[in-house]
Amino acid sequence: MNAADPLSPFTRASFASLARAGCFADPDGVASGEAGSRESGTHVRFHLRLAGQTVAEARFQAYGCPHTLAVANWLAGEVAGRRREALVPGTPADWAARFEVPVAKLGRLLVIEDALRACLEAWPKAVQ
Amino acid sequence: MGGLPVYLDNAATTAVDPRVASAMAECLTADGTYGNPSSSHAYGREAARRVEMARLEVAAIIGAEPGCIVFTSGATEAANLALLGTARANADRRKHLVSSRTEHRATLDPIRQLEKEGFAVTWLTPDSDGRIAPDAVRAALRPDTLYASIMHVNNETGVVQDIAAIGRACREAGVLYHCDLAQGIGKLPTADVARHVDFGSFTAHKIHGPKGVGALYVAGQARPWLRPILHGGGQERGLRSGTVATHQVVGFGRACAIALAEGARDGARMRELRAALWSALASLPEVLLNSPLDDGSPAILNVSFPGVEGESLVTGLADLAVSTGSACNSASGEPSYVLRALGRDTGLAQASLRFSLGRLTTMLDIERASEAVRREVTRLRAVAP
Repeated sequence: MNAADPLSPFTRASFASLARAGCFADPDGVASGEAGSRESGTHVRFHLRLAGQTVAEARFQAYGCPHTLAVANWLAGEVAGRRREALVPGTPADWAARFEVPVAKLGRLLVIEDALRACLEAWPKAVQ
Repeated sequence: MGGLPVYLDNAATTAVDPRVASAMAECLTADGTYGNPSSSHAYGREAARRVEMARLEVAAIIGAEPGCIVFTSGATEAANLALLGTARANADRRKHLVSSRTEHRATLDPIRQLEKEGFAVTWLTPDSDGRIAPDAVRAALRPDTLYASIMHVNNETGVVQDIAAIGRACREAGVLYHCDLAQGIGKLPTADVARHVDFGSFTAHKIHGPKGVGALYVAGQARPWLRPILHGGGQERGLRSGTVATHQVVGFGRACAIALAEGARDGARMRELRAALWSALASLPEVLLNSPLDDGSPAILNVSFPGVEGESLVTGLADLAVSTGSACNSASGEPSYVLRALGRDTGLAQASLRFSLGRLTTMLDIERASEAVRREVTRLRAVAP
């Protein structure tokens, strides 16, 4: 059987691993942000462990379609080492291209972006 | 992908039984029965003989007279013939129809088309357990009701309707009764079905026969109400024009004969397998059963998994062939109208799986499937906020 996978290999690999899923046991020094809701079909939350103005490590939690989970998982890896002023790596359009996200799902990537940006608001308090 | 996915989608279609394939092969090539059954020469007469043998076998599965069986291209065409053919022939007499919101689209769509053509339709909503109360059917019937169309076994949940009581209600009111029989045959006893319905549509490919062939049962008393919707050579006693596909019909007959002989054993075995599947899945926290365990079809188990997004669940189950509560896997996939009619919300309907068993399903399949589902549901729930 050789049916085409609806996910690209890159997307499938990220969805299959979800290696950065979860949250940190110790909330000290962690900036969290979330967006969306389960009722709307997409709910994403990021947790960034901070080292001053830099992300030391990131985790995510998400309820959503495979593309949502795959992109959130990838972003949690990408933001590590980034400074606050350049937290978001690229744009939802860039992510859509990388993960071959169908046009009808682009709104879900905006929810992911909103969740990541929400971490910026929590950042100052987390590093106090 | 290691090996073939576990196939638990037998309500969608089944693998052709090798005995059926063998019978069909005898009707295809130059050394076989390839003649046109309408031809009067020896080739045609032999083909016609085999078609009539098949008609006997198909009729027997529902306890019908062979002459009441009309071969079609499948259950969808059979339902269309009954629903459209009867309504359009009697539009000047009766213009009210009764059906339910949980019918298969082979029934829903023709009736919706008739609504557009001016027929009034009473759409019955099932109880919370998915059943249409015969009294609700009775109450919906009017002096101008032409027919009611209520299916035997729901294709998504396996709920079995009381077609004897529904048929009685219709008969007492002088109303015709069409029944979609596709999911009950070969899994439940159906040898007395013809007593209860005026029209019954069913197909071969749900019972390990070939795709592309089905039948409409037309009770003798219902025949005068029916007019064809296809016109041509006048085959099938004028009700379904087009050359009868001997190999398809012979395969259908063989599949019915096997189902009649082995259906009770198959049904009992499927019931055991289904119980084992449910037992394994029910050990997960928070799972909702959408199928009746005691008196539903032994072949269908529909389960909702709260807290899990439907598309991710199905995508994560790449080694499992099942149907989902979503009409499709696109971003805008509509949730199952059947589960919605049973009161499941949109998210829950989309996070539902229909496991459907068949003659070839094994306990190893059940164990592999339940383990895969348990693993994926647990994984996705752990990821959710």
